[in-house]
Amino acid sequence: MPPPPLTLQDWRAWWPGQARPDDPRLSVEERPAGQAVPAMLRRRLNLPGRAISDMLDALDPEASRVLIHASRHGDGERTLQMLEALTAGQPVSPARFGLSVHNAILGVHSIASGNRRSQQALAASGAELAALFGEARGYLADSEGSVVVVFSDAPVPERFRGADTPEVELAAVAMRLGTATGRVITAEPLPADAVPARAPQPTDVIRWLLGEAPLDCPGRRLRWRLAG
Amino acid sequence: MATPLEHELKQLIIETLELEDTTPEDIDPDAPLFVEGLGLDSIDALELGLALQKTYGIQLEAESEEARRHFASLRSLVALVEARRND
Repeated sequence: MPPPPLTLQDWRAWWPGQARPDDPRLSVEERPAGQAVPAMLRRRLNLPGRAISDMLDALDPEASRVLIHASRHGDGERTLQMLEALTAGQPVSPARFGLSVHNAILGVHSIASGNRRSQQALAASGAELAALFGEARGYLADSEGSVVVVFSDAPVPERFRGADTPEVELAAVAMRLGTATGRVITAEPLPADAVPARAPQPTDVIRWLLGEAPLDCPGRRLRWRLAG
Repeated sequence: MATPLEHELKQLIIETLELEDTTPEDIDPDAPLFVEGLGLDSIDALELGLALQKTYGIQLEAESEEARRHFASLRSLVALVEARRND
């Protein structure tokens, strides 16, 4: 028996400074409010963290769903600041250390929301979206009614650019996925003549959700389509 | 009226701990800094200890009773800095 389809039930996204179509699911605020998190916790979140907290609050208002967050680079700025402090023989900021880890945003969100379900943080060398869909399928096959996946990234700090990487845009996108209701997400092999694409970033996912562009994952040789 | 050192420490707390929407006037010198009052937590205590070390050269044992006493309020923090800072 084939597995049930993966469906998109709802989504939210944050892409600061964009002049995009007026879609209420997309925030283009330069500085997200982060209203879902009390001020004493919010102060520790970076801008993607504030945006993600608000998106999770919208997609999982009961704070009852499994949450999965993927980011290729995570919080590069805080990590580099700590390494620079160590190199200079200075003590490391405890708050920066605590918030530089990959699961920090979901951790702060879980404290604020009271969500005690499984929460997972991923990095996948450019195949973050494929990893999110794969993990979501696992939870859904394990009887979860729906799960919320988040994909965010931020530009790699300039002083680290030599070590990496393609240009990265600041953005985050969250999707509530299920199997029963919503638009069906299909995956097909990437056509041999497909225009070479970069590893999908959150902004590519947002374009896909807005119906502006296909979504290819060259690393996995996959193309995703959204039905309906 | 806050003394210059009181004001300086209020600024240090606000900037070090990134207390959004808090002004020096909001910090009652006699109110608890942690849990109640200003509502700081254990990470803030470590961060504040680090700031005191960097700014005034004061080193405290993180888990000591002495540190708890000094961190009780802004007033007790002022007394600590007055007594032990490297001038």
